Amino acid sequence: MATGRYTSDLEAGDRLGPVDVVISPFQVREYCHANEMHQDCFQNPANPIVPPTMVHLEKLRFYTLYCPEGCGPNARVHYTFDVRWHAPVRAGQELVVEGVVASRHMKRGREYMDVDITIHARADRRLLVEYRDTVCLSYREAAKDAA
Amino acid sequence: MELREGDEIRGAARVMTRERMRWYVDALPTVEANDGRVHFSVPTIHDDDEYARGQGLPGIISDGMISTNWILDLMIRSFGPAVLEDPGALTTKFIAPVYEDVPLTCVLRVTAVHALPEDRRRLALDVWAEDGAGKKVTVGTAAVTLGRA
Repeated sequence: MATGRYTSDLEAGDRLGPVDVVISPFQVREYCHANEMHQDCFQNPANPIVPPTMVHLEKLRFYTLYCPEGCGPNARVHYTFDVRWHAPVRAGQELVVEGVVASRHMKRGREYMDVDITIHARADRRLLVEYRDTVCLSYREAAKDAA
Repeated sequence: MELREGDEIRGAARVMTRERMRWYVDALPTVEANDGRVHFSVPTIHDDDEYARGQGLPGIISDGMISTNWILDLMIRSFGPAVLEDPGALTTKFIAPVYEDVPLTCVLRVTAVHALPEDRRRLALDVWAEDGAGKKVTVGTAAVTLGRA
């Protein structure tokens, strides 16, 4: 278990959660507003639908919980977002979110980390969302290529 | 909308301004705090030039989730919010940095149409965001179910 300090300390197999989560209408409206997603389904209902992209924030929730000192010596860069939604998630719904560090691996001289996250309905344990997040931990090397 | 393999839907171009990058950066602590007030992020490569240069970049770059959300926005505008009610998928990969003031256009291209019971259809899509020169900066795939009664 390598949780407790930096994101870059996480190791394959580290378990994140489970945590009980209720996403508020405020959170949905703010997130969608910041992305200029002004559709009625996000901004007006009392229990707006949660855009599947918001699952990315569950990774950040885990980083805050398990890696309180931040990303480590180099900034990390988000490389891949991969979500499958099986049913809608709504604000106000009781959820169970859990994750696991699926792998750390090298590719073309850079180190990557995959984190798998699931969201289940707390009431009946239905799987609602599956997400794989991939970050590059060797950011300075990536930045040299980008610049 | 009757769609066939090869059909393409292009969104309107949006310029990735400094403000748009900051809106996203500050949304993260605001959403995390969930107290009804705006919160501001620590310096990041997305909103702080000095910090970005310290990480080897020539300037700030956008968070890849902005282009991902713009692609999702185009999916909802094109097919309706019902695509969030039925099973679906969206994958994006951030293959090039997006610097300040780069215009981005999101594109959906139909790669397959599968018939489902009750006159419903499952669309497979290639999705991407391209800059003003047509260079792809974010690429991926998506799947949506259409025809909900």
